[in-house]
Amino acid sequence: MHHAFKIGETEVSVELSRAREGYRLHVGEWVIPVNLGAAADGHHWLTLDGETVEVVIATRGDDVFIHVDGEAHQLQYEHPLDRLAHQAGGAAADSVRAPMPGSLVSVAVKAGDTVSKGQTLLVMESMKMETTVISPRDGVVAEIHQAMGQTFDRDALLVTLAPESENKP
Amino acid sequence: MSQAKSDTRQWPFRAVLIANRGEIAVRVLRTVQALGLKAVVVYHAADRGTLAVQLADHAIEITGTTPVAAYLDGEQILKAAKASGAGAIHPGYGFLSENTGFARAVEAAGLVFIGPKPEQIDLMGDKVRARNFVEKAGFPVAPSAIEDDDPRTFNERARKVGTPLLIKPSAGGGGKGMRIVRDLKTLDAEIERARSEGQRYFGDGRLYVERYIENPRHIEVQVLGDSHGNVVHVFERECSVQRRFQKIVEETPSPALDDKLRGEICETAAGIARSAGYRGAGTVEFIFGEGGEFYFLEMNTRLQVEHPVTEEITGIDLVLEQLRIAAGEKLGYSQAEVKAQGHAIEFRIYAEDPGRGYTPTTGPVLRLRPPTGEGIRWDSGIVEGGEVTAAFDPMIAKLIVRGADRREAMARADQALASTVLLGCKTNTAFLRRLLNHPAFVEGAIHTGFLDAHPEIAADPEMPEATLHKLLAAASLVTRPMRDVADCVPDLHAAIGNWRN
Repeated sequence: MHHAFKIGETEVSVELSRAREGYRLHVGEWVIPVNLGAAADGHHWLTLDGETVEVVIATRGDDVFIHVDGEAHQLQYEHPLDRLAHQAGGAAADSVRAPMPGSLVSVAVKAGDTVSKGQTLLVMESMKMETTVISPRDGVVAEIHQAMGQTFDRDALLVTLAPESENKP
Repeated sequence: MSQAKSDTRQWPFRAVLIANRGEIAVRVLRTVQALGLKAVVVYHAADRGTLAVQLADHAIEITGTTPVAAYLDGEQILKAAKASGAGAIHPGYGFLSENTGFARAVEAAGLVFIGPKPEQIDLMGDKVRARNFVEKAGFPVAPSAIEDDDPRTFNERARKVGTPLLIKPSAGGGGKGMRIVRDLKTLDAEIERARSEGQRYFGDGRLYVERYIENPRHIEVQVLGDSHGNVVHVFERECSVQRRFQKIVEETPSPALDDKLRGEICETAAGIARSAGYRGAGTVEFIFGEGGEFYFLEMNTRLQVEHPVTEEITGIDLVLEQLRIAAGEKLGYSQAEVKAQGHAIEFRIYAEDPGRGYTPTTGPVLRLRPPTGEGIRWDSGIVEGGEVTAAFDPMIAKLIVRGADRREAMARADQALASTVLLGCKTNTAFLRRLLNHPAFVEGAIHTGFLDAHPEIAADPEMPEATLHKLLAAASLVTRPMRDVADCVPDLHAAIGNWRN
């Protein structure tokens, strides 16, 4: 069984095993005795290698939010099957995603248009600032996924380009 | 200063409608209720679960094509005021707070607008007219070119202002649509872009250009004026730490001013307010150069986001002053009686990712534990179980910290930021700690371009291995599939199988 968490853009493999008291965390070459105890008002005591620190933890779906050492962090649990599927998936450069939440101001291209790397695909607005979204590579626009005025979250799919193989003779 | 004791039974209103949302709706509501008046709140459905709605004596839902549109719908808000029997409307900041038409409509409906006279909003809302007014009154303004003076020669006159220069929409505010030009070759293109943004955001494409002061500070002065011709200043606020022309950290007193300069800038602000016959709470903003020169920037005819730092060092409740002035009371104190003590800093808690260009973040508020302690004030409109959405401005709370001096305020702030728990939506608190501990900030050597000059403050630092291990341990221990797998393997077997180091 291979478990992993995503922290920012990094994926870290990790295992947990049972110890006489508590658990052991296996990460890289390390095996670290760990345990977690619930305290009052919803926070936890994390014991790691004999040292105990206060942590506040919240989860939603696969997202784990942790406040430790004066800072909040977000981790995402990666299901073993999803990771497998992802590795076999298409090139990321086929999709253009929203760099921030916002809405569309103007769309410069339509499905079927040939675009070159760096060409403006659309202009979006977020917090009254305009941001130009450009094409990551040469290609053909497959689909525009957002309508004018509609709001979307960060990482929402904006434009897909036809897979590279389809453009070649 | 001891706050004047008001007899609200003599006031022309018994209930105040708050035409705003978020932390400022809560802030205004607290003073209204402390006076024994009723607080009425209007809210869009997206804000149903917020603190302002929970605390209100009466909450009325308003609708709109977007959540923001609801709060901009003056007609609907006036209807709510009448239905609820509110005799006065407090607009907060943003939304309708500097909308002349709304202020007029409120007065025409026989209600009290808690703010300046409509003509004062009108005058200061147009940067060009405001600047001309201030210049004519004999106060300092920066070199500039105004499109309206002669649109045909605008680009040419803009060129003569010299680089670096700043293009601004005449009708704008809050940094929206502003552009810096350092190379005159790009001037014409940037003017076109700024015009298109001004047209879209403010329905007004007119522009003006002014000389951009390098490494400028942004220092503003709080003023109060009553309906009887009395005007005082309530000292300055240093607002130089900005990102994308928007303030992040504000403090008072400003580390840049000695007593003499402080007196000059504060008296200039009071003089400008006096020239305008200003009524209500207002803020005169200045651009402050490295040589100690300062120029009028604009006047905000409303309560500012950063008003709490002024309250913390003077003991004056600015919302109470706004209400008293609106009720027709005299200020009742002289300039000499306005005294300040100690140091206060405000940190704006934004739902945003500084490491990704300060882009806004969204998410649920799964856990919220505001900081507490000596000198700590937390102004916020969000509650645990709420949600931060893209519908509104990303500022979700303000941390205000007071100390006997700047050093004590900063030490308390660092502690408070570290103990602020907000889980579910990324915020800028870790960034604010890096900023607070940066040597330049510690010395007070800041200017409005400070964060651009120090991109390392915004960048996510490399995570120490010890922190990574704590995170992985805590996350693994609360992740059901991992715990289940661990629990079904006998202890002894696990112990033999996996020791590697």
